[in-house]
Amino acid sequence: MNDTSVIDLRNVRKTYKGRIEALRGVDLAVGAGEVFGLLGPNGAGKSTIVKIMMTVVRASAGDGTVLGKPLGDKGALSRVGYLPEHHRFPAYLTGRQVVDFFGALAGMPRAERRARTEAMLDLVRMRDWADRRLGTYSKGMQQRVGLAASLVNDPRLVVLDEPTDGVDPVGRKEIRDLLLRLRGEGRTIFVNSHLLSEIEMVCDRVAIMVQGRVWAQGTIDDLTRSSKRFEITMRGAAPEWAVGLGALREDGASTTVALQVADAADAQPVIDRLRAHGVVIERAVPVRESLEDLFIRAVTDPSSGGTLNPGALRDRPSAPPPPIEVAS
Amino acid sequence: MSTALPEGTYGRQTWAIVVAAYRELNARKLFWLSLALSGIIVVAIAGLGLDEEGISVFGWTFESPFFNATVVPPATFYKLLFTNLGVEWWLGLGSTVLALVSTAGIIPDLVSGGAIDMMLSRPIGRGRLFLTKWMTGLLFTSLQVFVFTGACFLVIGIRGGSWEPSLFLAVPLVVLFYSYLFAFCALVGLLTRSTVASLLLTMVFWFLVFGVQSGEALTNWGRTASAMEIASYEGEILRREAENPKDPFIEGLLEERDAQAEDDATWRLVHNCFMGVMAPLPKTGETLELLERLLVDRSGIEAPERERRGEGVFGSNRVRNREVRDEIDRQAVGRSLWWTIGTSVLFEVAVLASCVWVFRRRDF
Repeated sequence: MNDTSVIDLRNVRKTYKGRIEALRGVDLAVGAGEVFGLLGPNGAGKSTIVKIMMTVVRASAGDGTVLGKPLGDKGALSRVGYLPEHHRFPAYLTGRQVVDFFGALAGMPRAERRARTEAMLDLVRMRDWADRRLGTYSKGMQQRVGLAASLVNDPRLVVLDEPTDGVDPVGRKEIRDLLLRLRGEGRTIFVNSHLLSEIEMVCDRVAIMVQGRVWAQGTIDDLTRSSKRFEITMRGAAPEWAVGLGALREDGASTTVALQVADAADAQPVIDRLRAHGVVIERAVPVRESLEDLFIRAVTDPSSGGTLNPGALRDRPSAPPPPIEVAS
Repeated sequence: MSTALPEGTYGRQTWAIVVAAYRELNARKLFWLSLALSGIIVVAIAGLGLDEEGISVFGWTFESPFFNATVVPPATFYKLLFTNLGVEWWLGLGSTVLALVSTAGIIPDLVSGGAIDMMLSRPIGRGRLFLTKWMTGLLFTSLQVFVFTGACFLVIGIRGGSWEPSLFLAVPLVVLFYSYLFAFCALVGLLTRSTVASLLLTMVFWFLVFGVQSGEALTNWGRTASAMEIASYEGEILRREAENPKDPFIEGLLEERDAQAEDDATWRLVHNCFMGVMAPLPKTGETLELLERLLVDRSGIEAPERERRGEGVFGSNRVRNREVRDEIDRQAVGRSLWWTIGTSVLFEVAVLASCVWVFRRRDF
């Protein structure tokens, strides 16, 4: 076990009734103070991982720790804040009562709870609506109150499942800012999301899950490093000698050659040679795979080239594409 | 090893769940409707009165030489109204149905997607969470019975002139009675996650328990009457043998006694079957009747007048209905608290233990 890990899962497996293999040996490590994003298509096992960490579901095999305590330890949850994807709060409670209720369930004393409740309602900008019943709230407002409820116990680890679901663009930005602020306070944040652009904006490290396994995990930079290339766009056709340097792409009057080099310095000899042959260089840019490209690669069946079937494996021997090895 | 929680956490968690349950009750119209109906019944009881001339209804007196304050003391009249109308019919039936309708959704709501994740991800054990939520389901009945009994206490004190604190025994007994049903309701709610299923199946269960109890009461009546008939035959045979051993009627009496003995064996067999089925089930009716027994003991309420007609049973005149009923009343008083409460609580504990077992093991 890594001593600095806030979450450390080792070979965690989960098989539901009907021999549905939701998790097929998951290893995952999240360090203290980082924003970690868990990605994957529907049914990849993301929610099951979160539920196992939150003691909602029990692992069939494997072990691990959350905040240094074994999986299933209820006491550790007093320092964890969790907001599930499709959370449902009692409609008869007001926003303030909901936040206070979850503070009490975390064991907070009354005075501390009251002060934190007000502070969290302020943080999510819901104080003006705090005394109205949840039944009168919009989806976005419920999400804000849910965030306040998940933060009321001053958690060291915040686990959010699709936190921007149902929130308008302004609200999304506020939530992203909130996540960065929480990271600034030294909290560890675990985000489960489909929205790759948002993950890319806030996460220090990510993991991509495919069919119950972690396909890759690491920083976005690490994960896309192997795809790094240098693209040189020249006017007209490429000289014959340049054809073998890399993939060529013709675009009207221009041709682009993609050099498989990680550093701009490695591309300079090629540029010099092109210029020596009188070729006009229009553009020379470093290019790397986006998170979306990486994600699509993860969910593509290498044998057929098609997208892998969504959902967990159900008594089916086929395997997702082999994971890529990245040092975390 | 489990992480230690801050001191006072258990109390704060329990109190938070209870307060949330109270807020839920406040938000339910049925709770207030039930309280309003309780109020109407209390007003109706208070509107009735007995004086020396007869019975009065909201000031209008109906003269009666058979039913007036000289025949039945006003305090006893109100107490009988409380136990028979208030407890048996209103709290034991009407209010219980409303309570079931109101609370049947508590466990299905707890285990519904989105809600259960929020609860289980808190530092509270599953067993304690389930049992605390279950107990909040008793809050509806507890508040209803307490308010109703308190109002009746005032009515009996003011109108009947008798201040009887033992009336408040109704609170634990009615809540206990309701808890039998609510334990079953919780089990169904947990297994099916459906409010409608838990409500309907609990009603069916209650009806079945009522059916078994009625069957037991009916066969007990037959068994008791049959035994009394045989005892009557034997008494007469002994008397005739003592007077004249060669009395020609003795032979006939012996044949009739033997025939009755065969019936008696059948009654006993069927009654024993009902007792066997009834033994592990909650004694809903007997638990409420216990209140009447306790109030008779503690506040001197006379049991309501039973049927006093003099017909014989089994077509003979040897044993009268009244005698059989008196004997059955004696048997009822003789039944132990262990039989009435103990076996019912055992049933409840077994059902709740099953619930906790399922709740602790289930993935949500």
